[in-house]
Amino acid sequence: MALMEVKGLTMRFGGIVAVDGLDFEVEEGTITALIGPNGAGKTSAFNCLTGFYKPTSGSITYRGESMIDLKPHQITYKKILRTFQNVRLFKEMSVLENVMSGAHSISNQFVYGALTRSKSARKEEREILENAERCLDFIGILDKKDKVAKNLSYGDQRRTEWARALAAKPDLLLLDEPAAGLNAEEKGKLIELIRRFRKELGITVFLIEHDMSLVMEISEKITVLNFGKKIAEGTPAEVQSNPLVIDAYLGTGDDDDEEGSPWVK
Amino acid sequence: MFTTGELILQQLVNGLIMGSFYALVALGFTMVYGIIKLINFAHGDIYMVGAFISFVTFGVFSYFSDGVLGVILAVIASMIFCAALGFAIQRVAYKPLFDAPRLSLLITAVGVSLIVHNAVMVQTGGQFMFFQSSIDNTAGFPITENITITHVQIFMFIITAALMAGLTWFIGRTMWGKAMRAISQDKDACRLMGINVNKVIGLTFMIGSALAAIAGGMAVVYYGQVHFFMGYMIGMKAFTAAVIGGIGSIPGAMLGGLLLGVLEAAGTQITGSAWSDVFAFGILIIMLLFRPNGIMGKTTIERM
Amino acid sequence: MEKLNSADAVDVKKLGFFGDLVEKCYTLMDNKKIKWTVLAVILGLMILFPFTTTNYWISVVQNAMFFALLAMGLNVIVGYTGLCHFGYAAKFAIGAYTTAVLVRQFGWDFWLTLPVAVVTSILAAIIIGGPTLRLRSDYLAIVTLGFGEIVRITARNLQITGAASGLSGIRRPSFFGIHLTSVTHWYYVFLVLVVIYIIVSYRIKNSRFGRALEYIREDEDAAQAMGINTTKFKLFAFIVGSVMGGIAGSFFTVRMGAISPQSFQFLMSANILLAVVLGGMGKIPGVILGAAFISMFPEFFRNVPFVGDARMLFFGLLLVIVMIRRPQGLWPDRRR
Repeated sequence: MALMEVKGLTMRFGGIVAVDGLDFEVEEGTITALIGPNGAGKTSAFNCLTGFYKPTSGSITYRGESMIDLKPHQITYKKILRTFQNVRLFKEMSVLENVMSGAHSISNQFVYGALTRSKSARKEEREILENAERCLDFIGILDKKDKVAKNLSYGDQRRTEWARALAAKPDLLLLDEPAAGLNAEEKGKLIELIRRFRKELGITVFLIEHDMSLVMEISEKITVLNFGKKIAEGTPAEVQSNPLVIDAYLGTGDDDDEEGSPWVK
Repeated sequence: MFTTGELILQQLVNGLIMGSFYALVALGFTMVYGIIKLINFAHGDIYMVGAFISFVTFGVFSYFSDGVLGVILAVIASMIFCAALGFAIQRVAYKPLFDAPRLSLLITAVGVSLIVHNAVMVQTGGQFMFFQSSIDNTAGFPITENITITHVQIFMFIITAALMAGLTWFIGRTMWGKAMRAISQDKDACRLMGINVNKVIGLTFMIGSALAAIAGGMAVVYYGQVHFFMGYMIGMKAFTAAVIGGIGSIPGAMLGGLLLGVLEAAGTQITGSAWSDVFAFGILIIMLLFRPNGIMGKTTIERM
Repeated sequence: MEKLNSADAVDVKKLGFFGDLVEKCYTLMDNKKIKWTVLAVILGLMILFPFTTTNYWISVVQNAMFFALLAMGLNVIVGYTGLCHFGYAAKFAIGAYTTAVLVRQFGWDFWLTLPVAVVTSILAAIIIGGPTLRLRSDYLAIVTLGFGEIVRITARNLQITGAASGLSGIRRPSFFGIHLTSVTHWYYVFLVLVVIYIIVSYRIKNSRFGRALEYIREDEDAAQAMGINTTKFKLFAFIVGSVMGGIAGSFFTVRMGAISPQSFQFLMSANILLAVVLGGMGKIPGVILGAAFISMFPEFFRNVPFVGDARMLFFGLLLVIVMIRRPQGLWPDRRR
């Protein structure tokens, strides 16, 4: 059984069908990608998976359980963590505090613990702190932990977001266009990092992405979306040679990719 | 003694008159909210300033006519003043914060409200001021033995209706009105289309403020007194009216105003005047809980 | 976002000498020993203060401390969580009236009324917050304002709360045999309360609970994505803020010995909010100084012509200027 199964996922906004009967699976321990040209419905599908939209119809199951009626925070408690397309940090707070937020779903002190500072509360507080520092170290920005998030460079803001997701000790990581706004060198580091997520931490990775070079290099399985519908599925090589996919990318005149042709690595 | 039928009629008339005030002020709330998503706390105070300017300028015009003509001139003067004031407030206090968090803008609006009503308080020493003219507030058409609908009431109702019709035409048919509706949907797209967004926002504040000034001027004649704190309650209630109608919707504000006026009159009749304000706020809270989009408001799916 | 960053960069340069000074102070405070010494000296001065001055100034400072309590309570709701609350006077009215009615009408001992005041505060927070916290944040502002008015008008209309004239002759309590009557007694009672509230505020701020509130303030969607049940945490912020206000109100009642609906007008709510905003939302020393400034301002300018009457006008101006020029409040930030 696959870790996550999506069947017949449909999302309608008024008269517009953003996602139309989408089926795909994410196997445990893989790196899977959902791609498609601009406006293909990737982000809508992603928001359904993370509970930010309630799909019009269809089913999403995770380890055999339905996730349709779960709110975003409940999905996080299932150890499914997400990042945002245009980095959403807690801007006025320090990097360390940002990453500490990741541990929210794996800790449980509340008002009583806050006021009494009981032994268990202090122990948990220490664990949250150490966990956050470990995650920052893993990503490689531990030296920036006291900076205020809004003063970081864009690349470091992205890295902080990944560290924050890692701090929740996720089983499944959902990345929303992780390469957006990164330069070539940073993309290289991202590829290495995503591989380390799986190899060292055993995290299954699912990403939606616009950047072909990144997707083709790291994913094992790719689902291609166009106009809300699945048009192809398979390994990078299979997808690349699929005429429907080539048509979708080249035929729509979607040439705002900086690489010119989407296949250039 | 009043019969039940007379009581109902009397309260209906009172309610519609109160409702006209609420509706005129609510229009300003709803237009501003529609366009920049701000609850303009200072709007009630603009109504109050409108009343004051009408009062003061009438003092000047009354040398020349202390009747209807003088009042009309005074109200026109106060419309111009309030439109300028509304525009100035928008430019100086709100515009720098359009991109800031909503909380900052809201707190600024409270600050502006404090400035405006305290400025008037200092000017007047916090006293009530009483209005005198040759207009007879009691003259009218007797409907039954006890109830008369006065000329002033009829006149006010006609003016309110005319203003609403005019505004509906303006928003629906003119270029400016279309620009306003377009901006409330997507400010950035409007900029790309070459609409001068700042100008349209300024105009929205001016129209809203002028409408509040008319309501203020009518209040001077109808109640015969002015006070620096008179804008606070009506501001709250006009906002309630805007929410009842569906905030952002112009026909909604009109309907909500009239409805709130009538409901409040009925509620006051039943529970006594001491509770009338509780009644209005109660309606607001119930409305927000069960139908936060109001009678005419549209439900929207929030997209990220 | 870019705009915001560049504005900050300019700010830092402009600060110059002052910025360096702030940075030095923060660095000094990083040393635990120095920090605790400074705090001990401030506390010592506060303890000695009543011996150096007249009853008038003792009561002025005590009133400022009362204000600081309210501001710290509201700070949990507005400063930490970023919720708009324009009816905070109602929160302390509920505590105040609970105590006043129980002591005056039912002859209870003051200390026994405190738990009841806590319960009524919690109930009020649940009744008003439960359904409304899901609404858009600016609707919350209006609902809290409306609720504030409802509480005040209800107190004005009911017989049990003494109607428009309020309740007076509320018996002052004893504390371990000391009948708390003099101004100095109450000064120390409020000093103890301020210390407790400061500890509570810091403990909340540096806990999982408090951080969750700040995450909600900064970015609600991202907070949800981190597993925070935003509705639940907002409700508890509401409850904690409400209880802090309610307890402050209970003490206010017995200190004054009387209570009336006039104390709970919108102006009061606006003043408390102003203290929180001015000091810097969420920053505790800033909030306390903001409260002290707001409550003592009229004392200093009472006899200055024009300014005395127009003080709310200046408050309004200050609010607008602070929001436009320094929305993060006047308490200086560390440069990081």
